[in-house]
Amino acid sequence: MSTLATAPMPEASTRAARQSRPRRGARRGGWTDWLFLVPALAFYALFVLRPLISTIQYSFYDWDGISLATPVGLANYARVLTDPVLLASVGHSFFLMIFLTALPVLGGLLVAALLQEFRARGLGTLARTTLFLPQIIPGAAAAIAWVWMFSSTGAVNQLLSAIGLDSLTRAWLGDFTWALPSVGVIGLWLNLGFCTILLMSGIGKIDGSIYEAARLDGAGFWRTFAAVTLPGLRQEIGVCVTMTMIAALASFDVVYMSTRGGPGTSTMVPGVMVYQLGFTEGRVGLASALALVLTILVFAVILPLQRLFRER
Amino acid sequence: MSTNRLNPRRSRRARLLTLAGAVAGLTTLAACSTPGSSDAGQSVAPTAVSTDLGSEPVTITLYDGAGLKSVDDALIAAFTDLHPNVSVETRFDPDNVQAQNAPRVLASDNPPDLARIVALGDIAGNDLLTPLTPWAEVYGWEIPHGQMAMYSVDDQGVRGSGTQYTVASGFVTTGVYYNRQLAEQVGMTEPPTTVEAFADVLAEAHSQGVTPILVGNSTGQGVMITQMLINNHLGATPVNDWVFAAPGATIDTPQSVEAVQTVADWVEAGYFNDDANGTDNAGASGRFAQGEALFYPSGNWDAATLASSMGDNVGFFAPPALEDGAVLAMSDPVTNFGIPARAPNKDAAAAFLDFLMSDDARAVLVEHGFAPSGAGDAPPTEAGSLNEAIQASFAGLVEADGQVQFVQNATNGSTAAWNQQSQLLFGGRTSPSDYLAAIQANYLEELRR
Repeated sequence: MSTLATAPMPEASTRAARQSRPRRGARRGGWTDWLFLVPALAFYALFVLRPLISTIQYSFYDWDGISLATPVGLANYARVLTDPVLLASVGHSFFLMIFLTALPVLGGLLVAALLQEFRARGLGTLARTTLFLPQIIPGAAAAIAWVWMFSSTGAVNQLLSAIGLDSLTRAWLGDFTWALPSVGVIGLWLNLGFCTILLMSGIGKIDGSIYEAARLDGAGFWRTFAAVTLPGLRQEIGVCVTMTMIAALASFDVVYMSTRGGPGTSTMVPGVMVYQLGFTEGRVGLASALALVLTILVFAVILPLQRLFRER
Repeated sequence: MSTNRLNPRRSRRARLLTLAGAVAGLTTLAACSTPGSSDAGQSVAPTAVSTDLGSEPVTITLYDGAGLKSVDDALIAAFTDLHPNVSVETRFDPDNVQAQNAPRVLASDNPPDLARIVALGDIAGNDLLTPLTPWAEVYGWEIPHGQMAMYSVDDQGVRGSGTQYTVASGFVTTGVYYNRQLAEQVGMTEPPTTVEAFADVLAEAHSQGVTPILVGNSTGQGVMITQMLINNHLGATPVNDWVFAAPGATIDTPQSVEAVQTVADWVEAGYFNDDANGTDNAGASGRFAQGEALFYPSGNWDAATLASSMGDNVGFFAPPALEDGAVLAMSDPVTNFGIPARAPNKDAAAAFLDFLMSDDARAVLVEHGFAPSGAGDAPPTEAGSLNEAIQASFAGLVEADGQVQFVQNATNGSTAAWNQQSQLLFGGRTSPSDYLAAIQANYLEELRR
C-alpha cells in the first residue's frame, strides 16, 4: 500500500505541509500518487488479471479455441471432479510431493546441518556448488538426460547390473509401477540443491553463540540439530515447503519431457493434462476448469502452511 | 490515529479501487464477450484467379513442421528457379507443435500463404482455408481419386469428398523394415505377404532368441503394427471413414477387436522388445539399425537413416495382408498444403501447389525418399536400393487403392488417446475391447457427437 498510510506523521507537520501547498484542492496522496502506479497496474491487469478472468470465463464454455463457444454452465467442473483420469492426475501430484517436497526438505536439512558442523574447511563451498548445479539446468534438459539414464541400457540399470542386481533392471519410465517414482527422483535431484542452499543461508543467520552454548552444555549433533537448528530455520523450511509443494502441484516440464504422462496415464499430472486438453485436444473450457481447480488446490494447500510456518 | 484523517484515507482507497477497476476493466473488456467467433476466416473465394505471377517481386510465407524442412527447402529452390520474382519465406515449428498451432496461426492477423494442414476437417469447418476449386479449373489439375479424398471436405465437415482445400507435397508410406542378416538366420527367404506367414517368422525368431519386432511405444509406435492389422481386418474404407469423421463411423467393431487381440497375443508371446513402453521412436530406430531386432514397422521417413547405417542389410516390405486380402498401408500426405483464408498472396501460393504435381517436384520428393504427388510415371530410383523397395511398395499400394489414413490423425486428441491405450496394451493393463471402446469414446467426445 501507499507509504503515507503506513507512516503517519505528527499532526503539526502534516498541517504545516498542507499550508505550504499552493492550492487547497491538491492534497498529498491525491491522484498523482496513484498515477505512478498505473503502469504497474496496467501490466498486472493485462498479463495477470485478464488471463485469469478469461480462464474463469472459458471454464463455463465448451470451446475448441476457434469457433463460437457454447455455454455449458458447471459441466466442465463436474467433469473435473468426477473424471477418474483427471482426479488420478491430481493424486499423482500429491504422490510427487514425497519426492519434490518431503525428501528435498529432509535431505536439505541434514546436509545443511552437516555442513554447518564441518564449516570452514572449504567443504562448504564445494558442497554448495555441487548441490546447486541442478538448479541452473533447465528442468526440461534435466528430464532428457534422466530419460537416457532411466532407459533399459542407461546408467541406472548399468549401476544395478554392476552390483549384481540384474533382477531389478527395467525400463524405469516405461513401467506402470515405477514410472511415477522415477519421475519423482528427477524432481528430487532438482529440488534438493534449492532446499540445501536456502537452509544453509538460514543456518548462517543463527547466532553462532547459541551453537557454542549448546556445545558447552554437552549437546551432540542430533540434540543441537533438534534444539537449535530446526527452530531457527522455521521460516526457511516454510519457504522450502511452500515452493516445492507448488512445484509438485503445478509440475509440468519434467513430466512432459520425460513421459508425457505415460505409460498409459500413470504419470499424468494436472499441468500436462491442462496442456493436452487445452492446446492439443482443443477442449479449452475443460482445460480452464482444471487449471482453476488446480489453482484453488494450490491455495488450499499453501495458505494453511503459511499460517503454520509464520513466526510466532 | 485521528478521525479527521480517516476520511481522506477512505476516499483514497476508494480512488485506488476505482482506478484499479478502471485499468483492469479496460484491459479485460475484450474477454467479456463469448469466446471465439463464428466467422474466423471469411473464406470467400476470390472472384478472379490468375496463373500469371507477373514479374513484380512477390514474397510468400510457408509454414510447416520442422521435420519436413529439407524436402521443403528443395521444393522451394526448384520452384523459385521457375519463378525468379517469387521468394518464399519459411517458418517451421516442431511437427506436433505445428499441428497444434496451425488453427491459431491461420486465424491470426498475419497468416502464412501456405500452411501444413493436419486437422483438415476442423480447420476447413472453421472457414480458415481457401477453396481451391477456381485454381483447379484454370490449371486443369487432374488428381487421382484416392489422393483427392485426402484434400476434400464436405459441408458437414466430413473429409473424403466435397470441396478441395489442399494439395500434398508428396506421400509418406508405411511398411516393415527387416534386417536381412537376421532374416537369413531365421530362415526367412522372402518377405512375408500374409499375416500368417509373418506370424510364423515371428515365432521362429523368438524361438532362436532374436527379438522379432522392435517398437518405441513410449511415443506410441505400437499403434503402427496395431493399425496395420486393423486395416486388414476392418478394410480401407471403414478406417478412412473413421479418420475422416464420416457420420456414424466407428473403430470399435468385432473385426478391430480381433486385430488388437492379435497384437495382445504377440505381446503375451514376447514378440516385442520387453522395454517397448520405455523406448521412444528414435531409440527404437537406432537400436534396429544396430541389429537388435528382425522387424521394425515404420515409414519411409526412417529410410535415409537406416540405409546409411545398415547399408545393404536393410530391406522393406508392405504390411502383410490377410489371406485373399488387399495390400493396405497407412499412407498420407507428407505435407498437406492449404492456402489460409486470409493469406495475402493466394495466386502465388496456388502456383506453388500446381508446381507440387509437376515432374520437377515429383523428382525432388522421390529423391528425399517420399512417394510423389499427382499422377504420372514414377521418377527413377537407384536399382537395389532401399528407396527402390519403398517406391515399389507405394506403387503397389496406389494400384490396389490401399492408401489408408493414420488413425492418430482422426482428431487433435487422437494421438494421445491411441498412445495411452497402446501403452496400456503393451503393459498388459487393458483388453482389446476396452482399448477400442476408450478410443471410440474419446473420438466421439472430441467430435462433440
